[in-house]
Amino acid sequence: MKKLIIALGILFTTSFVNEVYAQCNTEKHVEACIPKLQSGFTFLKSYSIDGQGGAKSKVEYSYVFTKGATYQVQICNDGEGTDGIVLTLYDSSRKQVASTKYQGSTLSGLNFPCQVTGIYYITFTFEGSANHCGGSVLGFKR
Amino acid sequence: MKNIFLGLIGIAILFSCDSKKKPSADEISGVLDSVKIEEPAISEDVIADIIQQIPSPLEISTLLKEAETKYDKSHLNDPENISNYNSNFKKALALGIYGTDLGYTNIYGQNQDALFYLNSIKSLADDLSIGQFFDIGTIKRLATNSKNLDSLLLITTKNFNSINKYLQDQKRSNLSILLLSGGWLEALYIVSKVSEKNPGNEQLKETIGEQKIIMDNVALLLSFYVESDPNIRDLANRFSKLQEEFNKIEIKTVYREPTYEVVDGMLVVKDNSTSEIIMTDENIESIRTMVYEIRNNIIN
Repeated sequence: MKKLIIALGILFTTSFVNEVYAQCNTEKHVEACIPKLQSGFTFLKSYSIDGQGGAKSKVEYSYVFTKGATYQVQICNDGEGTDGIVLTLYDSSRKQVASTKYQGSTLSGLNFPCQVTGIYYITFTFEGSANHCGGSVLGFKR
Repeated sequence: MKNIFLGLIGIAILFSCDSKKKPSADEISGVLDSVKIEEPAISEDVIADIIQQIPSPLEISTLLKEAETKYDKSHLNDPENISNYNSNFKKALALGIYGTDLGYTNIYGQNQDALFYLNSIKSLADDLSIGQFFDIGTIKRLATNSKNLDSLLLITTKNFNSINKYLQDQKRSNLSILLLSGGWLEALYIVSKVSEKNPGNEQLKETIGEQKIIMDNVALLLSFYVESDPNIRDLANRFSKLQEEFNKIEIKTVYREPTYEVVDGMLVVKDNSTSEIIMTDENIESIRTMVYEIRNNIIN
């Protein structure tokens, strides 16, 4: 009986977390992020960053970057600064190329002038994030 | 006790149900076409992950403009060809093709031509029950003023992204894949044509060679549907021959640690790695020939 009550408790807690993370309006953050792409960059993709209230530690996307193009990724969220959302870029061999957590600061985005065409992984993690919620956009220029 | 237990389970089920509004049966049946494709064995999430990797054809159009090559309408699929597309398979491929053509006209600021493509795109999208993503009034208004180029590009890119997501949500990823395949093939066709006219431009040849990476992704996506969809099987066979040509190209990469600086609160990465594409003019010529053949077969 005790086990059943614990199981039901977990079920209720999960439902509660579901209700909380449903409030993460990533679309709003994405819309706010598009104008933040610097002049000369053309919008390519938008990414939802929904950490499901802390239940998810990582959100990952991938994209083929092309040699000769410069890519910009911007992160937007509700909280102070970047609210602990860290963007890490990995190359096709899963080698880390860059992270917005740089020299003790968490930066709001990055510019990447690509020299090697290939699949790149755009990973968002949460470090001390209050909302675990945000949006991101990818733009490019030649 | 048993009643309390059942009641608790009932409440738990209610709470654990997703609160998002589900589409009604009518809505679903309205968007599903008559040719329902059996779902592939691979998960929709895996398919979505591969789909999102495929770069926008806009990148190639931008490259062409930056390389100072002239706008050439003859490289595009005539918007009047729309009457040739009488199945969902053909319509989805054509929608991708016209999407790339629209991007090309946009990049070159050819707004009058863009309007013709918009009309064909809207018509195909309506036929595929995805016309709701095109607010044709707003798009046409933007298209009539070249100052609105950025907004027009943004709105059309967003629309195509939304369509892809919607089709995946509706478990119609096969159409999403056709749309992407058509769009990618058209970009490859245009850059092949421009490269043929500018044989001295090595960057254009490199761009063709680099498509080897995308080719692998497109071929993989199509392979998921070869068992369930005879049209896709036929297309996949043609793409597979093209992939064999691409396999003759080698991409060599030398990795070097990147360096960084912070500019205006942004991390600016200096990518010190390099890559080299090892290919011959014969490789490029063979790829061109096959691309022309496949594309010709699709549009006519």
